[in-house]
Formats: sequence, C-alpha cells, structure tokens
Amino acid sequence: MLDAGARQALRNAVGPDAFREHAPLACEGLDLPVTLRPAEGAALAASLRALASRGLAALVRGGGSRLGLGNLPRTGHVLLSTEGLAGIDEYEPDEGVLRARAGTPLGVLREAICEAGWELPFDPPGARATLGGTLAAAAVGPQHAGFGRPRDAVLGLDVVLGDGTRTRCGGRVVKNVTGYDLVKLHVGALGTLGVIEAAWVRLRPLPERTAELLIPAPALEAAVEAAVAVALRPGVRVAALVDGSLAPVLEPAHAPGEGLLLLVELAGDTPVVEGEATRLAEKLAARPASRGAVERLRDLHGDVADEPLLRFRVSALPARFAAAAAELLAAGAGVIAHTATGLLLARFPLPDRADETCVDAAWRAARRAAAAGAGDFVLESAPIWAREARDVFGNASESLPLLRALKQRFDPDGVLNPGRFVAGL
Amino acid sequence: MTAGRQAELHAALCDVLGAERCVTRPEQLLPWECDALTLHTAQPGAVVFPRDAEEVSRVVRACRRVGVPFVPRGAGTGLSGGALALDGAVVIECSRMDRVLEIDASNRIAVVQPGVVNAELSKRAAPFGLFYAPDPSSQAACTIGGNVAENSGGPHTLKYGTTTNHVLALELVLPDGERVRLGSPTGWPVGYDLVGALVGSEGTLGVVTEVTVRLVALPESVETLLGIFPDVVSACQAVTHVIRAGLLPSALEILDRRTIEAVEASVYAAGLPRDAGAVLLVELDGPAAALPRQMQRVRRIAREQGASAVEVARDDAERQRFWRARKGAFGAMGRLAPDLYVHDAVVPRRKLPEVLERVCEIGDRHGLRLSNVFHAGDGNLHPNISFDRRDADELRRVLAAGAEILQTCVEAGGVITGEHGIGTEKRDFLGLLFGEEDLDAMRRLRAAFDPDGVCNPGKIFPTTRFCMESNPKARGYDRVPFG
Repeated sequence: MLDAGARQALRNAVGPDAFREHAPLACEGLDLPVTLRPAEGAALAASLRALASRGLAALVRGGGSRLGLGNLPRTGHVLLSTEGLAGIDEYEPDEGVLRARAGTPLGVLREAICEAGWELPFDPPGARATLGGTLAAAAVGPQHAGFGRPRDAVLGLDVVLGDGTRTRCGGRVVKNVTGYDLVKLHVGALGTLGVIEAAWVRLRPLPERTAELLIPAPALEAAVEAAVAVALRPGVRVAALVDGSLAPVLEPAHAPGEGLLLLVELAGDTPVVEGEATRLAEKLAARPASRGAVERLRDLHGDVADEPLLRFRVSALPARFAAAAAELLAAGAGVIAHTATGLLLARFPLPDRADETCVDAAWRAARRAAAAGAGDFVLESAPIWAREARDVFGNASESLPLLRALKQRFDPDGVLNPGRFVAGL
Repeated sequence: MTAGRQAELHAALCDVLGAERCVTRPEQLLPWECDALTLHTAQPGAVVFPRDAEEVSRVVRACRRVGVPFVPRGAGTGLSGGALALDGAVVIECSRMDRVLEIDASNRIAVVQPGVVNAELSKRAAPFGLFYAPDPSSQAACTIGGNVAENSGGPHTLKYGTTTNHVLALELVLPDGERVRLGSPTGWPVGYDLVGALVGSEGTLGVVTEVTVRLVALPESVETLLGIFPDVVSACQAVTHVIRAGLLPSALEILDRRTIEAVEASVYAAGLPRDAGAVLLVELDGPAAALPRQMQRVRRIAREQGASAVEVARDDAERQRFWRARKGAFGAMGRLAPDLYVHDAVVPRRKLPEVLERVCEIGDRHGLRLSNVFHAGDGNLHPNISFDRRDADELRRVLAAGAEILQTCVEAGGVITGEHGIGTEKRDFLGLLFGEEDLDAMRRLRAAFDPDGVCNPGKIFPTTRFCMESNPKARGYDRVPFG
C-alpha cells in the first residue's frame, strides 16, 4: 500500500528530517514501515492532507503511554508521532495559564511551572506521557478527585482535522462562550476527530501542604461507606480504596489477608490539612502512609511491561459503589475504588497464553459491575489477542449515530486511527 | 409566511398540543419578539408549550413536515438574541416543563426539566446541604435549559466553573424529532463528549428536554470583603496578586467609579463612598479552618495595592448589603436612560487595567454613559452603556463603541463573549477571533446534529464575511424586523 510514490509524497509533505523509514514496527496489530514526526503544525497538516489524498491512514501517538487504549485499528500505514511538536509557547505565571505543544512531556511542564507555585491539573501514569496524549486519552491518575476531569482544565486547542484543516477552538482566557465548545469534543476522542497540535491549560496553585494517610478497612460495605464519607471532606485529593491483593503495593507491611486499605491524600492550606489529618486519625485510626504511596498507586493505573493483565475502568454512582466493587472482587480482580469520583479500576491477572475464557469471565464481571453502579465500563488495557473480537468501550452507545456523523464530518477520509474508537469508529 | 402556510402550521401544531397550547395570532406573539437584548426583534411563526419530551418530539416533527424552523426558549433572559425566532421559526417554550424530577442527595445529582428556574433548584437542594453552583445574575428568572444553551456563568464561576462543568447528562430531541440521551450521571461517559459539545451551543443542535446536574456541598463558611480603592488599576492589581498568591476566592468583582456613583444614587445604594475610584468585592468560602488566614492575606494584598479601607461583612445582612451594590449595578445603570446595553467580553486578567482604560476612552469619545462592573477574577468585562434607542444617532454611537470594545478585547488576547453567547448580537464579530477554518470546524459539528439547519437558524455563524459595519439599519438593528 505504501508504495514509493506515496513515500515520496509523505516525505515532501512532512519534510525530510521528520520522515523515517524503518523495518516494519509492530504496533497495535499493525506493521508500520514509516514514522512521521512533524515538528511544526504546518508539516502536521501537510502530512494529513497527503495521507487523505491517497486513502492512507495513520496511527497517532504521543508518548505512547496510553497506546493500548482503544480498539485495534482497522488499518494504518504510518505511525504519526506528535513528539516533535514540543515546547512551551507561552506561560503566564501571573495568570496561571500556559500554552504548550502537544508533544511536550508533562514532566517538562511541571518543571517549568512549579517554581512560581503552580501545578498541572493532570497526573496520568507513565513517565513519557505528553500533554496532547493525556488530553486525547482524557487520561487520569489517582489525584483526579482534586484535579477534576481533564476536559475542565483545557481552555483552548489547536487541532488539525483529518483532512488537514488547521483549526483553533477556545482561547487563552478562563471563561469563554465564543462559538461552539469544540475543545470538549477533542478531549477524550483518542485522536479520531483531529490531531491536537497545542493546548492552553489552566494551572492550579500548588497546595501549601500535603499529607498521605492510610486507613485500615476490613469489610467491604463498611469500608465503602467510610470511604465515601471521607471523600466529601475538605482537602481530599485522593480517596482510594484498595483491596487486599493490591494493598501491599501501597504499604509493604500490609499482608493481603488483612483486608482493604483506604489511601487518602490531603492537599491544601496547612490548617485544613492538619485539622483533617487529626480528625481522620481520631475517628478512623488513620496513620501516615509510607513515603511515595500515591506514586505507587499511580503506577497501578498504568501499564506494566511483561505483566499480562486486563485493566478495566468502571464508573459508578456513589450510592451504588459497594455493589459495583463487590462484583469485581467476586470475580478475582484487584480493585482500586476512587470513592470521591465514582471511578473503579479493576486489574485481572492473565495467564501467559491466550485464554479467551479468562477474558470472557472478566468482561462479564466488568459489565455486571457497571450495571450495578449505573455506569459504564471500558477495557483500558489488554493484550492484542484479548481485544481482537470485542469493542473495548463496552456497552453500545445510544448516541452512536451522532458519534458516527461526527467522525464522518471531522475525518471524512478515515485517516485518523480508523477503527480505534467506540464501535470501531 | 403566507397565510396558507401559516394556517397549515397552526393546524399541524394544534393537532399535536391542542389549540390552548399553541399561540399563532400575531398580536399574541409580541412577548416572544425578543429576549433581553431588546434591540433585536423578530416575529415567531408560532409559540407552543409542550409538557414533555414526547410532545417536543411531535412538535419538531410537525415543524419539519410544514418546513418551518424552530427555536427552544427558556425564560428569555438571554442577552445575545439567542432565543430570537428568525425565519418565522416556531418558539418551543420550555416554561411548562418546569419540574424538578429528582434531588438525589446520596449521589449529589439533580434531574430537572429544562424550564426549572435556576434559583429554584438551589432552593430545593438546600435542605440536603447542597446547591447548584452556576449563579447567573438573572438566576431568579432564568432557567436551567437556558443556562445549558448559553453555558451561563455568574459571579462565582472563578472557583466553581460555569454550567458546562456541572452538567452530567442530557436528554435531547434532535432536529429530526428523535430522542437521545447523552452523557452519564456518573460524570464518566463513554464516547465523544457530546454533553460538552451541547452545553453552550445556543439551542442550535436540538431541544434539551431533561438535564442531570451535579450538586455541590454548601460551603462550611463564607467570608465577604469589600475593598475601597483609589482607582480601578489598583483594584485590578490587587486581583492579580490574590490569584498570584495561590488564593482561589469564589468571587472577585469590581465596580468602577461610574458604577459606584450610579448605584449610590439609586435604590440599590449600599453606602459605598461616592468618591471611591473602585470597589473590589471578594468572597471566600470553604472550610472554616482555612478562611481566617485567607482573609488576612487578601486584606494585606488589598492594603499593599492601595486600598484605603477593607471592610469585612460581620453578618449575613452586611454580606447582602455588599452584594446589593454588585447585583444592583445593572438596575442602577438602567434607570439613567430608557435602554441599557450590557456588553460581555473577556481578556487575560493582567490586561484588565489597560483594556478598561481603552474601554472608557471609547465610551467618552462616542459621548456615551459607559460604566464597568465586572468579574475581575475571570477577566470578564461587562461595560454597560445607558442610552435611548429612539435617538438614532446615539444608537449608532452605541453600536460603534461596542464594535470597538470587542476589537480591543480581541487585540488584548481575549474573546468576544464570556457568558452571554454569540446569538444574533455578535455573529458578525465571530471572525474577529476565528478564521474560516475554525468556523468550518464548528459547522461540521452543527451539520452532524442538524444537517438541514432547522434548529435555531441564524445564530452564532456570521451572515456575511466579517465587516465592521456600524450602520444600524445595515446590521438590522433598531426596531427593524430582524433576519
């Protein structure tokens, strides 16, 4: 498919330095012989135009930390990396806003802003996570109870649509109703409607004080009830209930048989953090967590190489949280339950060989959990063989005709990650 | 519309709702000729009062059969002409869909019909220790459905966000009459964020028939401060320093000297010193343990930036008095002349002083009574111009000044509306901010929902290639039928 003429056209479009031919790269079930790594928006747009005009498709990638999220692409001819679009364009320490290119690693952004007392409103796992990738995947980490959803922190985007049209939406100011809010549409779209080129982000003030606490919680029902109550207290940035199988990761001294653990991170003004910490110690026997517990919890949200695993994300209403968690635990999952936000992560270990029955059982449990929680489920991470025969986005959406119409309008030639999104869009 | 078409429309709508819930006689349609932007008027083809989604769906299908567009309408408090019925559109009044369907305190959500009044929802949630955070100035009248259409804000959005941050799920009647549910009450839906796209779409993508919103815990403690400043520049600088210090007040509002004068001369008088150059209203809320120190820091910053006095509200009555000045500003300005033009634009916060200076200069140059009251924390300006529309020359100057103000804000890195919307008011200014490609992307969203353009036509998108036309007749202003 990628003949010499197409390769030459792509090389011309993206520029010789950004065009690389290599031995076919196995990626999400595709073998990709070419990587495009544009360093400017114009080159990104030219690449997409060149692909569109030849009926070719791209697998879009940021840092690659969430590459396993989504259905297997139906087709793909080149890897389109956004890592060349890197750097901070504008940073306003007085305003607490920043504009950076999509390929900028989050670590680079954090380093640039912390001195003036700001922090990023995202904490996805993965050392290589980029700004664009985080937004495209709407990726969250353990502190999302404090940060909110990624979509709520993005002020504006530069996006190149599937046909190479370069567009801007939103702006740099914190309040804006000028025209349609296309920002929301692209955040979480997995690059299937457009490739994010740059973003304006609203930063958060660094908390004056933080504290990490652990609360032992033997029985599930009571633990969930306590965890939901804790999550409503001021200054709570993490309220994650972790079952016995995962608890030792947070607290090495905790034996799996000792039941669940609730990890709480408090963040904010010193009097609030100290007051809440004292209160939790008195009422729920909270004790300081061992150093780095939130970091270790974050790792559990990401992919670990060489460890065959299914990871589901299940959402639930607070009042139905215990029922949802019970379904997952009964099926043998390692469960992290964010009681402040209604997200559960379920990790099912897999045998080394492809075993469909294992996947089926886990899938059914996730579906039961979502139903019990009045929410949804997504298979966020799984080996390729386990994703081949299913839509990882779970239940079919009743808004599918609208999703399809949007994909058709924003990526009419099917250039961007075809097949990756809900129902194979 | 021809008499034949009108009769056909009347029959089709009456068939769905019965004659008592269809208004089609021209003299009865007058109240729906405009929203709160009274400069723009247009006569609807009819007004209907459905009670539920099924009836809305049947109304939409009837409109499609007759070939008439339609426009959903809340309380008509919008300030950008968003509820104006262009092209003889049928107004779908949401006032009969005014039920709070559920307050689910354990899950902190409420399910409401679109006609529920904003303040009513918070009132209903209060017994559970909860409230609905977005609080536009018109909250005593405006509806949740209208708030969804306009992505309404209010003085407390700095901390709590606007409507889009609080809507979890929607039921929508699409422009072909189909009903669909978008989003999820959990806040973590799967698929493209269609709720995010819908909120702020000004009723152009369908008719919202049910809204699920997030409720927020009432703060444990609230403190309100009023700083008196020699000029607006020092008040703005205080705001910048407050934000820079990592404080996040729930409100940071400034009234300029001209507004203070108008307020103090009116029934809204709050005892502000009439010689003050600016007043800064700061509200802090949150855990009681945090507020005393935050208040001290705000006081210190205000003093350092030149405040001659910083008052702290001692009780609720005094808090109401402080807010009376802020909330009465529009009423106070409105009594100076028959008409009031409330502008709305946003600039980066640190640009506020220079932009305000330019805005006042523009008003003065055009010989207009212009004052400023604004959400300083958000950089959201509301220049108010009191005028008399019967004075054709003054109206021309009002419009010319408005265009210059928008231009100034965009040049400062800002946007042309922060909470009022584009509607008909600013559709021909959209090109100040967005290029053809950007508008093309918006049209793609529109086309995915409403390929035939029958839902609230004539809004948001520019009618012509952008031009800075300020002849009222040419722009369709004055009380000339619009569109």
